[in-house]
Amino acid sequence: MTVTAQRVQGPEEYLAAAQEKFLQRAYLLAGLFSDPEIFRLEKERIYARAWHFVAHESEIPRPGDYVVRYVADDPLIIVRTESGEIRALYNMCRHRGMQVCRAEAGNAAFFRCPYHGWTYKNTGELIGVPFHREVYGTEGLQRGEWPLISVRLESYEGLLFVNLDPEAVPLREYLGEATFYLDFYLKKSTAGLEVRGAPDRWIFPANWKLGADNFIGDAYHTAFTHRSTVEVGILPVPDANFHKDGPQAIVGPWAGGYVPNLPYAALYPHLIGAMRANLTPAHHAIMDHDLWQSHSTLFPNLSFLNAPGIMPGTPPVAYFTIRVWRPLGPDRMEIWSWYLVERDAPEEWKEASYRAYVLQFGTSGTLEQDDTENWSSITKVAKGQLARTIPLNYRMGLDHLQPLTDWPGPGQAYPVDYTEYAQRHFWTTYFEWMCSNSR
Amino acid sequence: MTAVTEPIHREIEAFLYREAELLDARQYHDWLALLSEDVQYELPQRVTRERSQGEGILDGTGHFLENQWSLRKRIERLATEYAWAEDPPSRTRHFVTNIRVSPGEQQDEFLVRSNVLVYRTRGDDPTYDILSAERYDVLRRVEGSLRLARRRVLLDHSIVLTRNLAIFL
Repeated sequence: MTVTAQRVQGPEEYLAAAQEKFLQRAYLLAGLFSDPEIFRLEKERIYARAWHFVAHESEIPRPGDYVVRYVADDPLIIVRTESGEIRALYNMCRHRGMQVCRAEAGNAAFFRCPYHGWTYKNTGELIGVPFHREVYGTEGLQRGEWPLISVRLESYEGLLFVNLDPEAVPLREYLGEATFYLDFYLKKSTAGLEVRGAPDRWIFPANWKLGADNFIGDAYHTAFTHRSTVEVGILPVPDANFHKDGPQAIVGPWAGGYVPNLPYAALYPHLIGAMRANLTPAHHAIMDHDLWQSHSTLFPNLSFLNAPGIMPGTPPVAYFTIRVWRPLGPDRMEIWSWYLVERDAPEEWKEASYRAYVLQFGTSGTLEQDDTENWSSITKVAKGQLARTIPLNYRMGLDHLQPLTDWPGPGQAYPVDYTEYAQRHFWTTYFEWMCSNSR
Repeated sequence: MTAVTEPIHREIEAFLYREAELLDARQYHDWLALLSEDVQYELPQRVTRERSQGEGILDGTGHFLENQWSLRKRIERLATEYAWAEDPPSRTRHFVTNIRVSPGEQQDEFLVRSNVLVYRTRGDDPTYDILSAERYDVLRRVEGSLRLARRRVLLDHSIVLTRNLAIFL
């Protein structure tokens, strides 16, 4: 086909053209990975409106425990109050806008602004204003009217989500039937999950959507991108094509894929019984086909991976990571990568599992290293004026695959993971959120 | 305890410079040969805490949490034809300074602290990454030669400012 570098007037027009091209032919315009104007609209239309994962409950177990987290540029203190309730407070003093909390984590009953000393309880309530009566008079400042801004916070199975939009639907409604699939990750033990340490954080020059797009359905890249990790024998799989014949499932804001012939993916054996007891017959039907739910993304930028690794002196061990692709700009993202483990697994198993994660994921992980290289490279090229008009091929599976008719879970599933149904689902959802004519 | 004499101090300095040279030249197998069989190589997570709450180093966590086996696996991987993160390779320069040596707890062991600044560029990208850290090493004399038995790298960042740690510090 021929490509013309036609001038595109503005982001709305570009988005509309990109959506049309995508819905008609599954061609994606590469400028979506680099355009600063589109990025500005993403912050307005997605980041200010969708549910965003910020922390796991186990990161703040005691009253007063807090972590500071972000939704794009918006800073939030996620804190457990003295009554045990968890709140999300906007990290901005109501007087001059200073950050009232400048650590990343800790324990505090109060947050005190360094600028003028306004002091807030960890519920957000303003309880101290220096020289209150002298400077405002007895009637001048009603402290009750100036708390830290509270942002909506709701949870699912220990995952804490926030939403900046007071009008947004409740989290459970947003997740819908996606909870069926999240339960594979979150209900492996009756004792629940715990985060080890803090999330790994690192910044590099790539567009956030590349992480979301990869984890939602790009099983195909494992065969080539990750061949080196398979070759050196740290994955308990026969070859780098291990993802090819696992199904792919899609429902609501979620999609992901499975590895075939990998029963329980090296989960600690004593947890298998608990996992089955916590899940439903429909889950059992999937597990009984020796399928293991591996990668997925919850729109817009939360991804999951449950995978096995090889460590010396022990049978293969599973590890579980969840990650946020935090957008910092059209060409910059910060990865937040959490490692979680079942609380009731034995300590030595947890240690081996964590080391398997460190070897494969996080800043130094051999799998993650090659992913970040790819995504940086794509982002760099996508800045070109011609690149804005070049369609990328998202058609895999479109012409020959039929959905499974006997898939036990909700939504739709396809027989193989080497297909781009899940990625097409991500982009279809993206355009629904972004395009004026769909809103 | 083995006293730290002037010749030993110079020998340890030379060891650290040699090691940095091997890393910058990507002679990883030669670098691995400088590590003891029981080496522990760690780069813990760090988070910002209030001053009264310490340095924010999270014990038991790691951007690296390695032993001889896992370091060897990383190095074998970099040598394959498919290690895209480092092919084409980064250009790195390790600047090692402020070397302080004290006797170790065991005979023939030394506690060595050093500061390291690593400069990294890739491709024709005009930007560069800089990583700054203090290293707490244990060097051990094995059959006459020094070996790195333990390294704990304390990064001066809470966010890692490079696309990946496909390099060593």
